[in-house]
Amino acid sequence: MSVAQGLTISYPWPFGERLSKSIEYLSYKTRSHNAIAAQDSVAAILSEQQKYALYKEMFPKEWSRSRASLYRRGHYEKYSERVNELFQLINDQCFPLLEFAYDDPESEFENFAIPPLNVDLCCEEIWFDNLRLSYAAGLIFYFPDEAWDFLNEKFKVSRSDFPEIHSDPDPNVWDRKNGSLFGELLRLIDHSTGNPWLDSNYCQTADWYTWDRETIEELTKEFRAANETFEKLTRLDEMIEADPKKMLRALIEFWNKGNLPKGMKCHEQK
Amino acid sequence: MDASSPLELLIGEVEQINPAILLAEEFMRRNAEVLLNAEDINRAEEILHIGRTEIDVINRQIAALVRSSASPSANLPIGF
Repeated sequence: MSVAQGLTISYPWPFGERLSKSIEYLSYKTRSHNAIAAQDSVAAILSEQQKYALYKEMFPKEWSRSRASLYRRGHYEKYSERVNELFQLINDQCFPLLEFAYDDPESEFENFAIPPLNVDLCCEEIWFDNLRLSYAAGLIFYFPDEAWDFLNEKFKVSRSDFPEIHSDPDPNVWDRKNGSLFGELLRLIDHSTGNPWLDSNYCQTADWYTWDRETIEELTKEFRAANETFEKLTRLDEMIEADPKKMLRALIEFWNKGNLPKGMKCHEQK
Repeated sequence: MDASSPLELLIGEVEQINPAILLAEEFMRRNAEVLLNAEDINRAEEILHIGRTEIDVINRQIAALVRSSASPSANLPIGF
């Protein structure tokens, strides 16, 4: 046996990871070693452990393949590279986690907020040209002057060509059981879909979510449902584009009387 | 009222260290890949509660001390 072979020591982890652990430990020892610092350290370790458990549970293959350090700090410097990897996985495979004001590497993710996907009708200026056609049409009930201006410019239709719009919609408008595309559109505009991605806006206090599998899976499911809601509007956009007068009349009829024209149920789309 | 001097009271106290300091040392040395089990987490949360309570007590005592007005002591420590 050569001298070099005799000096080889077998460890369960690579040298780099052991070095990272040592550096992390030494930097901890050099920080103010009082009870408050210790509390913060224990809380930080618990937080990371919670996220490692979530990572392992939700992405077992990625966890076993991962070489990201459990000790070295990652882009979000309050967390290890491995936790950063979890954030990225959720962002890539579940929902847009990192797009909501998380451009600061010092961000904390003990609880997290989600970005609203719906149009903020509360305080933001509404850019009708950037809206889906059906969404812009639905705004005749909420922002009539601006919406009719837009529709007039686009289709040469005028408010006076249509029946008077009631100040309040028929209660049937909000009935989810009728499976109506118009109903889905109006609930979307009203921010009353029941989906957190669609009902939130930047003006209200954000809901804060916790790191557990149930929450992540529920948000993932709701994110997909939110995208499906927008996809469903494509059919409505095409119908309005094809015959704006007929569709606007039908939409107003639905708002005023809750009557649903044929072909406007979600399951009738195809 | 107990006639013991402040120094005697201090001498009579049980020596202890905030348990969060000991737990932080233990956790920093462990292998992070071996995830904490429910028992470890419960223990850590209990210790965090005890540690936080102790910090709060000390902070309240410091605040009370800062608010206290100075008054001469009947017992002058040797050397003063």
